[in-house]
Amino acid sequence: MRLIIVGCGRMGGGLARRLVETGHEVTVVDKDPDAFSRLGSAFKGRTVVGIGFDGEALEAAGVRRADGLAAVTASDDVNVVTARVARQIFHVPRVVARVYDPHKADIYRRLGLPTVSTTVWGIQRMAELLCFSHLDAVASLGSGEVDLVETETPPTLVGRTVADLTLPGEVHVVAITRRGHTFLPSLGAVFEADDLIHLAVTNTASNRLVKLLG
Amino acid sequence: MRVIIVGGGKLGEGLARLLMSEGHPITVIESRSDHAAVLRHDLPAAVVVMGNGTDPDVLEAAGIRRTDLVAAVTGADETNLVVTSLARQEFNVHRVIARVNNPKNAWLFTPEMGCDVAVNQAEVMAKLIIEGM
Repeated sequence: MRLIIVGCGRMGGGLARRLVETGHEVTVVDKDPDAFSRLGSAFKGRTVVGIGFDGEALEAAGVRRADGLAAVTASDDVNVVTARVARQIFHVPRVVARVYDPHKADIYRRLGLPTVSTTVWGIQRMAELLCFSHLDAVASLGSGEVDLVETETPPTLVGRTVADLTLPGEVHVVAITRRGHTFLPSLGAVFEADDLIHLAVTNTASNRLVKLLG
Repeated sequence: MRVIIVGGGKLGEGLARLLMSEGHPITVIESRSDHAAVLRHDLPAAVVVMGNGTDPDVLEAAGIRRTDLVAAVTGADETNLVVTSLARQEFNVHRVIARVNNPKNAWLFTPEMGCDVAVNQAEVMAKLIIEGM
């Protein structure tokens, strides 16, 4: 895909490198040319100096042929205006804006602009880590009969297999996040320390799952 | 006519003064706390709300649900555009006017962005200067 990243901070720079690694054609826009040093000398994408919602900068970045645009500068206002310009004026098919302010993020989401609030994610995750319980419910499926939960691997499970943590029809391991990558494990996959385990569990079996987790 | 002015700089303050002299109730939103204090002193008849005009909570505190008009006149075009969008799309304000700081951005101040009237200050000044020639 042809993608434009507006804002070359930690998030924009990291996103750009990641997207190039996965084979996308990436153009990064930032008002400060020094910001591009974050991309590293081996960066294969293009860079454009300019303000994200400036028509000339967007045209130079190839907005008319772009498949997607992410607006991730440090300013919520710049991100929102850039994303709306990209979508409403240049009709970029996929647009997303990073918005720090959770309330604003909600409003724009309701207005049809996809937003990512790193603040909200951060708050949720920090609260989970501070108030650690073995089972963090991630989502509730149907009318709550099945929960998706996640847990850090307890020491008792390290070296054991997915089959040991499976109760057919009641507890299933859906995915494992290991060193930043998430995959679907087979029944024979072996848990390692620091794995984050994602499970589906029926609400009637959650007590049994807690026991399995020791 | 109830008016909310976002941005209490020289333009915002002058606009507030003019409208108040015609008897309109005015609320000014100003993000710099020290400058908000100055405005409270200089415009005793106006309501001055300290906060960022792009923050929906601040707009609500300023009474945006009851206002007839919003004028977004800060020195940052992206701020003015966010104010116009929120005023129109989130709060259904009847009439929304905005200041264009950088003429390059004038094309963005459209009804889709919530802006009924865009005042392009550089263009206005240039025309006035030419008229004076």
